[in-house]
Amino acid sequence: MSTSTANPTPAGDQPQALTAAQKFLRDAATKSADLGHREIIRKNMESYEAGHQRGRSRFKDWEAARYKCQAIKREAVEHLDKYLLQFEEKVIARGGHVFWAANNEEACNYIKDLAVSRGVKTIVKSKSMVTEEMHLAPVLEAVGIKVWETDLGEYIVQLRNEAPYHIVTPAMHLDRHQIRELFREKLGEDIADADPQKMVALARRKLREAFFAAEMGISGANFLVADVGAVALTTNEGNGRLSTSLPRIHVAVTGIEKVIPRLEDLGTLWPVLATSGTGQPITTYSTLIAGPKQAGEVDGPEEFHVVLLDNGRSGLLANAEEREVLTCIRCGACLNICPVYKNIGGHTYNTTYPGPIGSVLTPHLRGSEFEHLSYASSLCGACTSVCPVNINLHHHLLHNRRDFTIAAKGHSAERTQFKLFRTVMQHPRLYAFGGWMMRRSLRLLYGMGLAGTILDPMRAWSRKRTPVPLPEMSFRGLWKKELGKKELGGNSVGNK
Amino acid sequence: MAINNPSREAILARIREGLRTPIVPIEAKTFDGPIFEPIANPLERFEQECKANLMEFHLTADASASAQILRQAFDSLPQGEVFVQDDPALRKMVGAAGTSRQLRWSSEGRPAESAQATVTLAEALVAQTGSIFVTSGCGGRAATVAAPVHIVYATTSQLVPDLVTALRNATVEGKLEKNSYGCMISGSSRTADIEKILVQGAHGPMRLVMILEKNT
Repeated sequence: MSTSTANPTPAGDQPQALTAAQKFLRDAATKSADLGHREIIRKNMESYEAGHQRGRSRFKDWEAARYKCQAIKREAVEHLDKYLLQFEEKVIARGGHVFWAANNEEACNYIKDLAVSRGVKTIVKSKSMVTEEMHLAPVLEAVGIKVWETDLGEYIVQLRNEAPYHIVTPAMHLDRHQIRELFREKLGEDIADADPQKMVALARRKLREAFFAAEMGISGANFLVADVGAVALTTNEGNGRLSTSLPRIHVAVTGIEKVIPRLEDLGTLWPVLATSGTGQPITTYSTLIAGPKQAGEVDGPEEFHVVLLDNGRSGLLANAEEREVLTCIRCGACLNICPVYKNIGGHTYNTTYPGPIGSVLTPHLRGSEFEHLSYASSLCGACTSVCPVNINLHHHLLHNRRDFTIAAKGHSAERTQFKLFRTVMQHPRLYAFGGWMMRRSLRLLYGMGLAGTILDPMRAWSRKRTPVPLPEMSFRGLWKKELGKKELGGNSVGNK
Repeated sequence: MAINNPSREAILARIREGLRTPIVPIEAKTFDGPIFEPIANPLERFEQECKANLMEFHLTADASASAQILRQAFDSLPQGEVFVQDDPALRKMVGAAGTSRQLRWSSEGRPAESAQATVTLAEALVAQTGSIFVTSGCGGRAATVAAPVHIVYATTSQLVPDLVTALRNATVEGKLEKNSYGCMISGSSRTADIEKILVQGAHGPMRLVMILEKNT
């Protein structure tokens, strides 16, 4: 979605169109100052963190598990063509279809044409981030098909006409009272005490009719198992199972990088994904779909289609440093631990995949308009430390920064700044003078009550915060003074 | 029926081209022990994990005790039809339980939307995670998910220690060659999408009843 300053926004909610980077900064500033939002996210993340730690303690050797998962996914990506072809062959042999889509448009059109040609009126969808990436639902709705999101969190954000806030917990940003209000408004039923149990029961009742009426079910895939030709899908609610069992047609949509070599690999991947995603020992329903209904079977879809989406992924294979980004299993652990995500929230990224993995991946999938996300990080490395497949996330943010800077040959203002920086760093007297000037002028400015105004060079910080107290003495001054003391006392500094 | 696949070759070519770029392989590491704690007593572990997964767990000594439990489970249900996998073992057990309920057998098609419960067998049981491995061979796909209550009848000889063993066996026995569908069920249906509060019975069964008969 590109914005242009030439076209005024129709709704008039913006005085002028913003670039993705400007919008990001604006939304980040708003969200990080929203204390209600912060409180909801804090509660959610604390609950996740407790579960995650409990989950990890069930492993005898968590590091060994991470290494094993990394090795499995690496093996798959290193032989991606071989395993995809093996998977395809198995699916076709059992009467299924595999469609290879180069981009979103091809994938959306294939599914739309399929639905239209089969006279589909209603579709039930289980959660799939790839269909979010493709913007599939609007394409289907445009031809008059009713699309039901059936994962509870997805259903809630669909009712709000919103994108998922988080790749695992789509409605994490809402509390029960907001959901009660939403259900009252959109479903016409008021759950007086906002009891989650009753609200889940209401959603179950509403969606149950859809499950039994739908002609097509659309799911994602957590893994594609090459040796048996199966789509592996994990859900807790059971919506994934109903979506792939009851309708006449099942379409599984996923990225080409989801393939794994062997069924038994899931013996490690399932527990690690569940632990990293929600803290569970294993997700409640770990489903394997290996084709349409076979002769002699009681039920199941008559048609089974797998849509494999490339959409920029194959380009990452040629990137020696960042190829490993394709081994991501989309558990959301890096989002949950990220101090930036916790403050600015999922929607601020304005991408399908938010958080550290999204910041690394999005510029590759959607271009340089999203290069600013490489800076949406404190580089603390928490993301890398929790990644269950050991992706070096924060280093990839640096790789992206470097690559974009080289490609753009540096912004001219930035080049000037760095020249100035280099000169100052090479001349200690100049540096000392600069520091002295800054302390004096800031003291003067703050004395006049101008902190945080446009005149304040520290405005980015002091606009919304108390200004940092100015030190009496420079670091160099302090060092000299302390060092002098120690030398007088004949302490450990020694003779030079 | 082959489908039109205009981009297939181009995608494969891009993949192969990309993979020509050499990358640094991951450092080979060895670890002292296994990833998971070895399971000393599978039955004990299975029971413990089933309970942690919020399942109703019944260990029975013989077929008549199992039928007794089934009868109790039937009695706890509201009025309405029960769906049963059409298998000689289940026909026998349902007969022994002696219910007057309306029954629909899997040979008559998938469970009705209004089914109060489904009764099925399992392919294997996994001690490590308290999981029940089912396939479409266990009465179909909907049989193990569509009703508010799912009752599983299995024997202790079906128990394997861990997931890797269960999946390896499934590969060797061609479970997904013979069946188009499999599922590792680890508890009742649930969600924590509202404020991370656990609620049982999202879209699948709210109750999962395990009747495990000793035969080893």
